[in-house]
Amino acid sequence: MEKAEVAQKIYELVEKSIGKKKLKSSDIQKQISADCGISRDEVKEALKDLVDEGKLIYTYFGGSFVEIPPKE
Amino acid sequence: MSAPQRRTDIGPPHYKDFLPPVIQKNYGDWKYHEVLNAGVMVHVANSGDKIWSVRVASPRLLSTDTIRDMADMAEKYCGGYIRFTTRNNVEFLVSDEKNLTPLQNELKAKKYMMGGIGSRISNIVHTQGWVHCHSACTDASGLVKVLMDEFADYFTTKETPNKVRLAVACCVNMCGAVHCSDIAVVAIHRKVPVVVDHDKVKNMCEVPSTIAACPTGAISPDPAKKSVKVNADKCMYCGNCFTVCPPMEIHDPENDGVAIVVGGKVGNLRSNPKFSKLAVPFIKNNPPRWPEVVTVVKKILDAYLADAKKHERVGEWIERIGWEKFFKVTGLPFTFQHIDDFTIARETFRTAATFKW
Amino acid sequence: MPKKYETPLLDELEKGPFPSFVTEIKKAAARSDMAADELGQLEKSYRDKRGYWKHGGIVGVRGYGSGIIGRYSSLREQFPNVANFHTVRINSTSAFFYTSQFLKEMCDIWDQYGSGLTNLHGSTGDLVLLGTNTENLEPIFAEFSSRGWDLGGSGSAMRTLSCCVGPARCEWSNINTLDINYNLTQEFQDEMHRPAFPYKFKIKTAGCAVDCIASIARADLSIIGTWKGKIAVDQSEVANYAKKGMNITEEIVNMCPTKCMSYDGSKLTINDADCNRCMHCIAKMTKALKPTGEKGATILMGSKAPFVIGATLSWVIVPFMKLEEPYDELKDLIRKMWEFWDEHGKNRERIGELVIRKGMREFLEFIGVEPVPQQVKEPRRDPFFFWTEADLQK
Ligand code: HEM
Ligand code: HEM
Ligand code: SF4
Ligand code: SF4
Ligand code: SF4
Ligand code: SF4
Repeated sequence: MEKAEVAQKIYELVEKSIGKKKLKSSDIQKQISADCGISRDEVKEALKDLVDEGKLIYTYFGGSFVEIPPKE
Repeated sequence: MSAPQRRTDIGPPHYKDFLPPVIQKNYGDWKYHEVLNAGVMVHVANSGDKIWSVRVASPRLLSTDTIRDMADMAEKYCGGYIRFTTRNNVEFLVSDEKNLTPLQNELKAKKYMMGGIGSRISNIVHTQGWVHCHSACTDASGLVKVLMDEFADYFTTKETPNKVRLAVACCVNMCGAVHCSDIAVVAIHRKVPVVVDHDKVKNMCEVPSTIAACPTGAISPDPAKKSVKVNADKCMYCGNCFTVCPPMEIHDPENDGVAIVVGGKVGNLRSNPKFSKLAVPFIKNNPPRWPEVVTVVKKILDAYLADAKKHERVGEWIERIGWEKFFKVTGLPFTFQHIDDFTIARETFRTAATFKW
Repeated sequence: MPKKYETPLLDELEKGPFPSFVTEIKKAAARSDMAADELGQLEKSYRDKRGYWKHGGIVGVRGYGSGIIGRYSSLREQFPNVANFHTVRINSTSAFFYTSQFLKEMCDIWDQYGSGLTNLHGSTGDLVLLGTNTENLEPIFAEFSSRGWDLGGSGSAMRTLSCCVGPARCEWSNINTLDINYNLTQEFQDEMHRPAFPYKFKIKTAGCAVDCIASIARADLSIIGTWKGKIAVDQSEVANYAKKGMNITEEIVNMCPTKCMSYDGSKLTINDADCNRCMHCIAKMTKALKPTGEKGATILMGSKAPFVIGATLSWVIVPFMKLEEPYDELKDLIRKMWEFWDEHGKNRERIGELVIRKGMREFLEFIGVEPVPQQVKEPRRDPFFFWTEADLQK
């Protein structure tokens, strides 16, 4: 699976869970690696790209989560 | 002016680049050390090489002015080498004996406080307090200042039977080893959190994780208000709920204050590491100089100084004389709060008929 | 010129012999608007007996989920220069050794981009830059990282590691604490900067059982140096201690917890088989006594402050492990522990709390460590234990 495609899946997963459940990095890794049949390291790499690009950010609210940055 | 190129995941620089040459040469090959006075010790290597450490107190909260001044002195006398200790002291690392006296003279002239080495009161491990933390029920820096002012002689000259390790934590999070110190001050709340605005809970908090955050199961849903309620009989004011759900206001200037705990240690020497135990359940905040706290800590310290054997830590002294004696010699009242009713209560009940009257 | 506040209460804390944090804040406040407002707000806290800090938006540097702690004033109208006043955690050096050159560069950067106030150090061991605005975060990170310095940990991540001074300046260290600290920090950079754990994870390394870094009280993984051989005795140095006035019977022999020492007025004898390596005698007679033989470390886990389940001290997982570069056995163990935590841990559950919840057996089986008596103070007291099918076959 292409990294960009994995990244897309991650983004969709985070988007879908807005307002329902805050996802931790490990939640995302577990979910996407199971869904796509890829290793957790591959998910981690794609997630790293998303965060480096600023499309997703780490947030802190009684534990660290991955979320879509708030619109200014 | 544009910022330079950033790099990620490089970690800190290699420690070797910061060690004085004499340490690099004798790394892992030290023979012994001697405490020359409260502020100076010398380490001697198997090669015969020596390094002197001159220790001064710092309030931990330092301005760049003071750091620059210390860096200048390190350059002048230590080839630029300087280190900090776990307990927020500063150590000037002198490789050339002839710099030792001029360095101490300059430190003295500038009113730096040398000391803290050996069987003495060292600097106080502490946390942020009102200076920079939202959870604080007191100010750690202020308490440290007034306690160290009171006990300054025990830092700079006078000896104690063994090291006395003090700590201050400004809330029960206890960022620091408060729960294993000889004498420690820990700030506490005494009232259940109050939800003033239930709409805020609805908007800002996840109800399930708020309920899960409570260690005693005191929180339950309040479906009508789409909020939560607190069972006052179960709550022990830990503030954990406030951490995950800000509208559960727990601060209360009239009822927040500090408790004093005693007898903990982290080292394994003689006896195993120990937790600190409750000596005084509550003293009201009285800034800026908390005189009541200073008085109580002094009372405990004086009783220890009067009665402890050489090398006994506060906890070892108390174990020898027994807790009933501890409360007697310090004159501190024993209350219901002293009897544990939290997770390990059972293990703290006395199951023997042996007392020291 | 920064605003000048009247601070009658804080002024009281400039009196007395101990160096004053108020004086430090005032020095910075003479040139920094941020430090001036910090001082003003702190005076108000002293008057009202409560803090005025809160959380607000999410801040950090691009790509990282840790290293910056967002801090906002709840009195932003009154103290606009600390409306946002974030902490920057810089990963310190092993055992806090610095050069004056670095400290001065650090001060220059911090005066340009921040309040000029620091903590040397935070209780986890970070070099803490105390207070700056959001827009300064990226420049600060660029300035430090271009000079070879990185951010430390925060949030649900591996936190900045710390260690005792060890072999750099202590004759008692059984392991290379500085190197272990540095090596593990480099190995686990991703775990530090991109929070993926249920909660925080702290590693602290002490060279011996004196534990100058308090690792047993405040680390999820405590590494404490120890040895297996005998204590070598230099009788002539023993005699010197006696000559200088040490009461060897009272201060050494009678205080030995295992009662394994004797002294006949000239010769000190140790029954090494009974010694539990508490360090008391060695620490008091450093010239006379030396540990010998195999050196390594005890690996313990789980200490934390009292929140949630009550305070814990770290407990033994592996009583003795050789620790030599590249520390593969230790790294494998750490990764296994994280795997267990990742699989079973709840949000905000420290690894020690998880192991208590799940039981040591499940944990030890998962990480592949055999049960040994050194892991307990004493065996269990009750007959209510579980048997697996596999146990029944044995
Ligand atoms: C459940 C336990 C804990 C919680 C919820 C907690 C919470 C916090 C909070 C809110 C801060 C921010 C203060 C600020 O900089 O404004 C903080 C800072 C800090 N905490 Fe903790 N903490 C906990 C335990 C610990 C422990 C056990 C340690 C020590 C090993 C520690 C070390 C630190 C350090 C070094 C800082 C930086 C500020 C300072 O030096 O005081 N924390 N913690
Ligand atoms: C008044 C309500 C809040 C309280 C009492 C609170 C409490 C805490 C505590 C106890 C910690 C330390 C946890 C730890 O270090 O393990 C912490 C850290 C932190 N909190 Fe909050 N939190 C609150 C609201 C928020 C909000 C609304 C945000 C952001 C949207 C936030 C962002 C952070 C960040 C970035 C950290 C630093 C992470 C770290 O260094 O560990 N907090 N907070
Ligand atoms: S002990 Fe509590 S109030 Fe103090 S710095 Fe830590 S979390 Fe903040
Ligand atoms: S303060 Fe602690 S015990 Fe009380 S309700 Fe909140 S979480 Fe529960
Ligand atoms: S923990 Fe032991 S080895 Fe490390 S500095 Fe302290 S006494 Fe030395
Ligand atoms: S190390 Fe401790 S147990 Fe061993 S001989 Fe010395 S005092 Fe006794």
